[in-house]
Amino acid sequence: MNAPRHLFRIQCIGCVTRFLGTPVQRVILPGGAHLQTPGSQHSNGQFLRSFHCSAVCTTSRPNRTEFEKAVEHPTQHKDKSLITHDDLFERAARDSNTKADFNRVVDVFNKADIRRRGHVEFIYAALKKMPEFGVERDIAVYNKLLDVFPKEVFVPQNFIQRMFNHYPRQQECGVQLLEQIENYGIIPNVETKVLLAQIFGEKSHPMRKYQRIMYWFPRFKHANPFPVPHVLPGDPVELARFSLTRIADDLDAKVTIYQYPSTDITETGQEVTRPHILGIQSPDQRSLLAKHNPCRPVYVEGPFPLWLRKTCVHYFLLKADPIPPEEKVVEEDVDPELIGPEQSLFYPQRVELDLERDMGDDESFYVDDVEEGLVYAMCMAGQGDQATLSQWISGLQETCPILGQIPTVFRLESGPRELQTSSDAQQTPEQEVEIDQIIEDEPQRSQRVN
Amino acid sequence: MAVSRKALKSLSGVYGVTHRQPLLFPSTLGCSAILSTRSAYERDYRRPGQSPDTRWPWQKIHFDFSKGVEGIKKHIGLLKDEFVQRWTGPEGRPLLEHMLEQTRVQWEFRGPESLDQWVVSSDQEIGGHSVAYTKLGKNNTTCFLYGSLCSMPPRDGETRYSGYCTLRSKQPLASFDRKKTYDWSSFNTLHMRIRGDGRPWMVNVSVETFFSHQRDDIYSYFLYTRGGPYWQDVKIPFSKFFLSSRGRIQDNQHVLWLDKVKSIGFTLGDKADGPFQLEIDFIGLRNDLAHTEEFAYELYKRNPEV
Repeated sequence: MNAPRHLFRIQCIGCVTRFLGTPVQRVILPGGAHLQTPGSQHSNGQFLRSFHCSAVCTTSRPNRTEFEKAVEHPTQHKDKSLITHDDLFERAARDSNTKADFNRVVDVFNKADIRRRGHVEFIYAALKKMPEFGVERDIAVYNKLLDVFPKEVFVPQNFIQRMFNHYPRQQECGVQLLEQIENYGIIPNVETKVLLAQIFGEKSHPMRKYQRIMYWFPRFKHANPFPVPHVLPGDPVELARFSLTRIADDLDAKVTIYQYPSTDITETGQEVTRPHILGIQSPDQRSLLAKHNPCRPVYVEGPFPLWLRKTCVHYFLLKADPIPPEEKVVEEDVDPELIGPEQSLFYPQRVELDLERDMGDDESFYVDDVEEGLVYAMCMAGQGDQATLSQWISGLQETCPILGQIPTVFRLESGPRELQTSSDAQQTPEQEVEIDQIIEDEPQRSQRVN
Repeated sequence: MAVSRKALKSLSGVYGVTHRQPLLFPSTLGCSAILSTRSAYERDYRRPGQSPDTRWPWQKIHFDFSKGVEGIKKHIGLLKDEFVQRWTGPEGRPLLEHMLEQTRVQWEFRGPESLDQWVVSSDQEIGGHSVAYTKLGKNNTTCFLYGSLCSMPPRDGETRYSGYCTLRSKQPLASFDRKKTYDWSSFNTLHMRIRGDGRPWMVNVSVETFFSHQRDDIYSYFLYTRGGPYWQDVKIPFSKFFLSSRGRIQDNQHVLWLDKVKSIGFTLGDKADGPFQLEIDFIGLRNDLAHTEEFAYELYKRNPEV
């Protein structure tokens, strides 16, 4: 069935070569979203069908450089080797891995063969190499890759072609490209749609994939209530500030920078780097710390992991053991006689009646609360050693002088530790003995009494 | 059921995939049998290269007298409960309590036997390298799910994506291993108290379906964790759950019908290699009267259009 088409195409190439001097006709209508109807393709695009260039291709045509010649030269003997395109990228990657290099390789391929022979393999190879060049989150590059497909060749012309999977390998390749777009979480743009309509037609599989992406992505774009930017701040202080405010979950909490990162050179010529130390504490935490029983120690624990997309940062906690039941202070009821300055004289401070509630309107869950120690402050530091963290504690003492009377125990681990190991509910005497032993044995984990 | 390989999702890309096709690589049968999240009646996921299980059914039976006695005890006990509880009220609770119920704690973690209701699994099932474990929290009141994610796909030449870890509840069984389902039709919101490390998870709910080709249908939504030392109360309305099958969002969406819920699962697959942890205090249900939405996605419009 394809034979007459091929014959026709050869004729077309003959026709088109005559037109090569003139600028190639564009088929994108103004507005972009208006796509060419199949009817007009027949009338207009018949003899331009074999190849079309699109906006991406025509606008960016850099001059021939040394590099291009170097890359292009071996592609002349393409027929002899089996794998050519991987090679093309590897040769480009030898010097530098940038977006410009990637684009240049695509340009070289586009120019090498007017029929774009082997473009499916080339696109697969390019998709695989994209993270290497750092362009995996760039929609313009994906559009440029889509532009490698010859236009209007794969558009089904009649109902039989439309019924069967027309050019399945090429459509699969297009779907694969869109799937990579999807996996990296980028939203395709109108240009992608125009290109897909030109290459595969309006109802092809890649077009469907595009429509599905555009249906679901905007719905879930802002689903995350704790958004993380794609590019995290490079400055460690800013990164620490961002993560601390994220985990503190309190708008009143204040970030304090106890030490900026700096590098000093002492008289002996040694370089001393000071890590950054940032802490966060809310007024509530400060008042709770002020009420802490000075006989019981507080613990500096960590490092605990926090993931911000693909980066992992670590933080430290200043926390206490859970208060044992015998020491728990029973919250005293507010005396109705006791009237504060803001108390209106005409209304009681508390109304026991709840007129809005009906029998079944109990919305609480019958679960026991998890007994855990209070968290008094959080900190992120450039180094997780004890010296750095004791600087944080001494910085905290300026606002919370009670820390001077409370023994502070450092329970640090070299690697990140699990959050729950710190939350010992009822610490048995054995465990405490263990901790004491550790403190005695290792000078690193010494007890620091200020 | 197939919750495990459902959601290889990234933060934004929800239609993850596990590519499964015939075989290339020889591997052991035993390993996957241990890790599998499927029940005895369903066929296991067969990795590429894995030879089919050719044992006869009677070769799989391990006869053990003491186990049999224990089983009989257990099933008779369950049967007795079924008969006796009916006199108290529906599901063994007084009728008034049942009718006025606004919240229900469906799963909480008290003691090691509560972990038996859960299956933890990872992409080792398909040949990946992630590991996941569960244990009880320090004071035995939480479930602590931890492990390490590795998104390197297995080198069998066919599997393209990998890297997930999952926790899934077992389907409840009545006496003599009859399947039971949860009836959550009086609630409209899922309420959980969790503590994570900042990674996004996915909550999957699988329901009883009529046709066998709907076996892999699950309803999912995202569970974003804040990270940090504090507990986080998460409320997810059931109207937001979308239908997916074998890791792909379906074009024809459907409301999650809550009258026959089989299980709930949590999947991590955010492609960030490294250790992870999630601590679950309880999983409950509530009837949020302020929430009136029936389904969050359009049913009147075809997707893709035309």
